[in-house]
Amino acid sequence: MNQNGDTAQESPVSLQRNQQEVLLTFPPPPSEETIDDWGELWQNLKHRLNGSERFWESGAFVCIQARDRLFDSSKLSAIAQALAEVGLTLHCVETTRRQTAVAAATAGYSVRQPSPTTPLTRSSPTQQFKQQEPLYLKNTIRSGTEVRHEGTIILVGDVNPGGAVMAYGDIIIWGRLRGLAHAGLKGDRACRILSLQLQATQLRIADVVARTPSTHPAQLQPEIAYIAADGIRITQGLDFLKTYHFVSEKQFWQERSF
Amino acid sequence: MSRIIVITSGKGGVGKTTTTANIGSALARSGKSVAVIDADFGLRNLDLLLGLENRVVYTAIDVINGECRLEQALVKDKRQPRLVLLPAAQSRGKESITREQMKEIVTRLSAKFDYVIIDSPAGIEMGFQNAIAPASEALIVTTPEVAAVRDADRVIGLLEANSINNIKLIVNRVKPEMIKADEMMSVDDILEILAIPLIGIIPDNQKVILSSNRGEPLVLDEKLSTPGVTLKNIARRLNGEDVPFVDLMASQENFLNRLRRWFTEPSR
Ligand SMILES: Nc1ncnc2c1ncn2[C@@H]1O[C@H](COP(=O)(O)OP(=O)(O)OP(=O)(O)O)[C@@H](O)[C@H]1O
Ligand SMILES: [Mg+2]
Repeated sequence: MNQNGDTAQESPVSLQRNQQEVLLTFPPPPSEETIDDWGELWQNLKHRLNGSERFWESGAFVCIQARDRLFDSSKLSAIAQALAEVGLTLHCVETTRRQTAVAAATAGYSVRQPSPTTPLTRSSPTQQFKQQEPLYLKNTIRSGTEVRHEGTIILVGDVNPGGAVMAYGDIIIWGRLRGLAHAGLKGDRACRILSLQLQATQLRIADVVARTPSTHPAQLQPEIAYIAADGIRITQGLDFLKTYHFVSEKQFWQERSF
Repeated sequence: MSRIIVITSGKGGVGKTTTTANIGSALARSGKSVAVIDADFGLRNLDLLLGLENRVVYTAIDVINGECRLEQALVKDKRQPRLVLLPAAQSRGKESITREQMKEIVTRLSAKFDYVIIDSPAGIEMGFQNAIAPASEALIVTTPEVAAVRDADRVIGLLEANSINNIKLIVNRVKPEMIKADEMMSVDDILEILAIPLIGIIPDNQKVILSSNRGEPLVLDEKLSTPGVTLKNIARRLNGEDVPFVDLMASQENFLNRLRRWFTEPSR
């Protein structure tokens, strides 16, 4: 990862609402055809489906944006099954890959084939908006799991050691943060990380990295991490907005002078 | 309906095979019919711990390759008539078995046994994936070490992604004196991170090593040792019995407070 928080790795599976349907977008396939990331993708998908807030009515239609990924009939049926378990109905597959389109059509799904040159506009709302709607999750982010979202993340649950939460916006955790959190992934230094118990192994906001001390105060209370003049600071969450404000010329938070 | 349970951990050497051998023996002794499967291809040792090494003729691979019938490959335990072992191949042909083949074997066994218990290899690669594929329940074994707990957490996430949601925790090699001196994670600390129900706490004890060397599971001893009792209790809890946890810290009264929470089973 470089200083701006850009990763070579693409964001994992995303689930968003669209006018009439739910869009399930997969990251582009690994550049090398031989790499099989299905296992990881699958875990990501299950995690997203089971952990996210159910913003859909039971039976809602889903359109998969498979890009140029290769999904054969068994993978498509596994995805359809996983969707069905949370009350979603696979209905359409959008892909630039012929084999995937054929498999989808054979399985009876409607197929959309955008030409590979036109960008998948609906899958990249960042072109129109700075951020997506907040992502609301209710589960434990366990070791080895990384959640990435092009907006603010609200998590009701813990982030365990070895787990990671990365957001373009703020990160709000109603639980313990013991893994890694990176807010303002695209460089927004006004972003903050809020947690009931802040015991992160590492905190990152925009381009600033902070390791947290290995000893933690015995009495932990809700805290907030933000960028101050001298780097990432952590303070009690309670009165933060009353006493601090973000100085955009300086690009950090400062105590208000009354 | 047969129960298909995988015993897994992520980290190696934490006691999966020891627990499999003991729980399998204890369940069989309590009257259940049990098949234990060694899914650690290439590094099999469940047969050793059960003292059955010299009876192994065929392995799961021979069944898959059609070189013998499933019944022929099952090794009957020398003490428990209701216990059988399906050995793993010693050869390193890890790729020679698929998830589908594993599922098929287990499905066939589940028709005949009350319990099918699968001893998973360490790690999260192919061998692990094969071992969990047929399972509907999992027992996670960890030791009170940061790295073991971290791996256990990772494995729980993977199990959940594979729709195995009935997951219980075994904490092995607990050393009360070290916990007391705050040199070791307590069971509470571990539960706080992993957030799954506890089904067993096993003390660190040399008898465990002796018994594996002899191929005599501790739960079959005439006079049960503390680790033997704690292992047997896991089998009883699996059977639905409500067994209080053995107080490993009995000699350290002031630590009773810390223990109290274990006595009331977690609600999940
Ligand atoms: N409670 C215990 N007290 C003392 N020694 C133990 C205990 N539990 C396990 N051991 C010892 O630890 C070693 C590893 O145990 P075991 O083979 O059961 O682990 P495993 O998880 O199956 O390992 P692997 O990942 O290699 O399959 C053995 O020598 C065993 O005797
Ligand atoms: Mg083993």
